[in-house]
Amino acid sequence: MKTKIAFAVLAAGVLCAGHPAFAHHPFAAEYDVNKPVTLTGTLDRMEWVNPHGWIYMDVKEPDGTVKRWTVETSGPGQMNRRGLRKSDTVDGMSLVIKGYQHRRDPALANGRTLVLPDGRSFYIGAVGGPNDGADR
Amino acid sequence: MKDLCHFHTAAAALVIAASLLAGCAAPAPEQPPSAEIPYRPVASIREVMNSVIDPSVDVVWDSVKTVIDDGRMTDHAPSTDEDWAEVRRHALIVSEAANLLLMPGRPVAPPGATAHAPGVELEPEEVRALIDENRDGWNFHVQQLQDSLGSVLAAIDAGDSQAMLVAGEQIDTACENCHQVFWFPNAVASAP
Repeated sequence: MKTKIAFAVLAAGVLCAGHPAFAHHPFAAEYDVNKPVTLTGTLDRMEWVNPHGWIYMDVKEPDGTVKRWTVETSGPGQMNRRGLRKSDTVDGMSLVIKGYQHRRDPALANGRTLVLPDGRSFYIGAVGGPNDGADR
Repeated sequence: MKDLCHFHTAAAALVIAASLLAGCAAPAPEQPPSAEIPYRPVASIREVMNSVIDPSVDVVWDSVKTVIDDGRMTDHAPSTDEDWAEVRRHALIVSEAANLLLMPGRPVAPPGATAHAPGVELEPEEVRALIDENRDGWNFHVQQLQDSLGSVLAAIDAGDSQAMLVAGEQIDTACENCHQVFWFPNAVASAP
């Protein structure tokens, strides 16, 4: 019985932990600066959590299929200081995110800028990203 | 029997008085752990990170968050005494694990292990060399981590989830700063 409970707890933990589990590697270790991406799609879920936030969005591919992207953002404190508020985002809204694709995971990106439907643009990059001017 | 009791009382008073006098004359400094303490590091720094620090700091970080999903925005934070106690246990684990990182003689990675991100992350022997030549820097960064956990513990004891969020960012800053110096000193992501 204890084994079953332990497994259930473990399984629940694994299922809930939807975001990648790499531990605090810098941008260059995880993301490819030579693979910039522009993602236009709809917000499915957003997590404002330390140390980095997560955006899950559905992006329509050229062939009509929908690809689920996971985008890493800076933490809640940094996004707040840059003017983005939790109340600015609601699932189902259109988003445009520019960033860089992960080195190994083709559906994972490091976000740099987020553009909301009303045209407001926010820098969402974490510390240590490329010096590409996205933070200006 | 009564005399014996008086003798014990007098002796105890003398001991206390002597202790007080000694204390007044020269406050005993807190002694650093002796190098002769027979501790035996079992895990490498990488293993302490992966097995002790990461799982617990994730509990601390994940305890306060906001999720936007299913048409609503939901704030998550510890609410019951048991919730706070659980987060506190993990904060203490990370805080004390910092002392494990300070112990000299702990290998950087298990034997034969290599960098997770070759070319970006230094190899374990290079990290070892950096730590050995900058022990003060290593100690400073590790204690920055411990200090950030002090902020977390204060937030927990105050039951202040907003302060937890702020302290959580301090933990990340401490982690990033240390990793930048000792694991990824050359990891500068160039402009495309």
